Amino acid sequence: MSESYRAIDWNRQKRLYDGILVGLLLLGLGTFIGVSLLRSPNATAETLILRGSSISGLLLLHLILCIGPLARLDSRFLPLLYNRRHLGVTLFLLALVHAALATFQFHALGDENPLVSVFTAYRRDYRVFADGVFNPAHFPFEPFGALALLIFFVMAATSHDFWLRNLGAPFWKAMHLGVYLAYGCVLAHVAFGILQSERSAVYPALLIAGFFVVSGLHLAAARKEFLLDRNSRSAERDGFVATCSIDEIADGHGKVVFVGGQRIALFRHQDRIYATSNVCRHQGGPIGEGRIVNGCITCPWHGWNYQPEDGCSPPPFKEVISTYKTRIVGNQIWVAIATNALGSRCDGSSISRS
Amino acid sequence: MNDPFYIGYLDKNPPTLARHTQGIVLLLAVIVIGLTALLAARQTPVEPGDFEFGVRRTFTGVILESPLPLLRSVSTNGAVTHYLLVGSGKYGLPAFARGNTGKLVRFDGSLIQKGGSVMVELNAPESFKVLGPATEVELTQKQERITDVVLTGELVDTKCYFGVMRPATGKVHRACAVRCLSGGIPPGILVRDHDGGAMAVPLTGSNNQPLKVDPEWAARIVTAKGHLILSGGLLRLEVLELSLDR
Repeated sequence: MSESYRAIDWNRQKRLYDGILVGLLLLGLGTFIGVSLLRSPNATAETLILRGSSISGLLLLHLILCIGPLARLDSRFLPLLYNRRHLGVTLFLLALVHAALATFQFHALGDENPLVSVFTAYRRDYRVFADGVFNPAHFPFEPFGALALLIFFVMAATSHDFWLRNLGAPFWKAMHLGVYLAYGCVLAHVAFGILQSERSAVYPALLIAGFFVVSGLHLAAARKEFLLDRNSRSAERDGFVATCSIDEIADGHGKVVFVGGQRIALFRHQDRIYATSNVCRHQGGPIGEGRIVNGCITCPWHGWNYQPEDGCSPPPFKEVISTYKTRIVGNQIWVAIATNALGSRCDGSSISRS
Repeated sequence: MNDPFYIGYLDKNPPTLARHTQGIVLLLAVIVIGLTALLAARQTPVEPGDFEFGVRRTFTGVILESPLPLLRSVSTNGAVTHYLLVGSGKYGLPAFARGNTGKLVRFDGSLIQKGGSVMVELNAPESFKVLGPATEVELTQKQERITDVVLTGELVDTKCYFGVMRPATGKVHRACAVRCLSGGIPPGILVRDHDGGAMAVPLTGSNNQPLKVDPEWAARIVTAKGHLILSGGLLRLEVLELSLDR
């Protein structure tokens, strides 16, 4: 987290992350171009770059889409999540190379504006029911790629925290869910494009497998969240809801519970139990899956900090999350449904005095 | 409950997490190599062809504009070669070369060839010179009507297919072929034999006229019925009937 804006706040892990990303990209491109040349020494350089960039981009898109649910299912994948935006920007650059080269190679130097040609070269085939025959195989694939590129551009251009703060986390987050629309467009682009040219069954098989991996991981992560919420429903008394026992939370750790229709983060810190909103002000990360680090609640996604007593980020930062009153009855932690006034101090419940 | 906690803005990843991350990176490397190699290996092999991009040769011969734009070149030993002529980019015979049918000309251009098919891209207008009218020998064009045929295959643009694009067929190349046909590059029909051999036969109209073809039919399967004609080593199909397969 930072108070002022910098292009990228570099540290050793970010450099390592980007170095590995570039290394894997070069590995993929090198392997693809090398094997392609072995098989087809006559292939042009433009074709190799065009196809290499698209395959690298497609693999990267699948990785990007898998990181979220993998991190929800297993926190050991969180190191991949931290700089996921770097993957998004790289994906946009790969898509841009692919689109620019395709537009020049297939549409430029002709009798039509290349950007118009991308959408109109064989416009009659937009009619999939032409002459009473249903034949989607000829449907233009280029517009799907163009729409995906536009979405990747918007996401890459707004990936910095400057936009996150100025657009607001909910809107920013909703906008970046556009990656799923872009994924659909990419699938259609590939299905109506190269899959109509290449004869090998490997291509559609891998595309379908990729779709099942992405959707399967999302369903597994959603199931985990659903079970968490279902198991957290409990009794309510005097505006407080029974949640879990003290023993379920280790010192310095958190736990997500379900109170009054929403998820609440419980933390055990220095013999006290605190309750805060489970939604990080940064990107909506699950705060309850975080830790207490240097006396502050620390979000597992990007390490944003909040003080457990008042939900405020330590100075000079100004972010605040809601806090809740807690009670300890016997061994059970009870959490108030109503929030405290934003930023007001709430000392939590003492464990030893319960 | 003592599992390590990751904080990205710190310089170091906890050791146990770092080991897990290293394992993921290694797995990703294996996946990347495996998938990119598999995808590359399963591509349809690119057919041979050559475009001497950036290389200019000098060509001399008689220009014939219809039914195909050709340069009829006679070597010193009397061998006749018919070069198909196209312009730069996605255009057919350029304006500076038109209106010279039957004249002996010289110009610089880039050679495009695939097997026995040869084509020249006229990309140096300043080099184009009309040397005078052609002699009777140079004008004599022996045409051999081989047979009447019905061919079914992909409609291609001959410039890309003869070597400019590799690959130059299929849906991915379709928009390019549309632009090329729309720009006046002669169309061809790509026919394949049972052994996997392939050739693109240039298509012409009847009565010595160029074939008017809907550019949007490019990269689609068509059926052409007509006379197969051999002239100066160039095989062409004089089309009587052309239809689009669904």
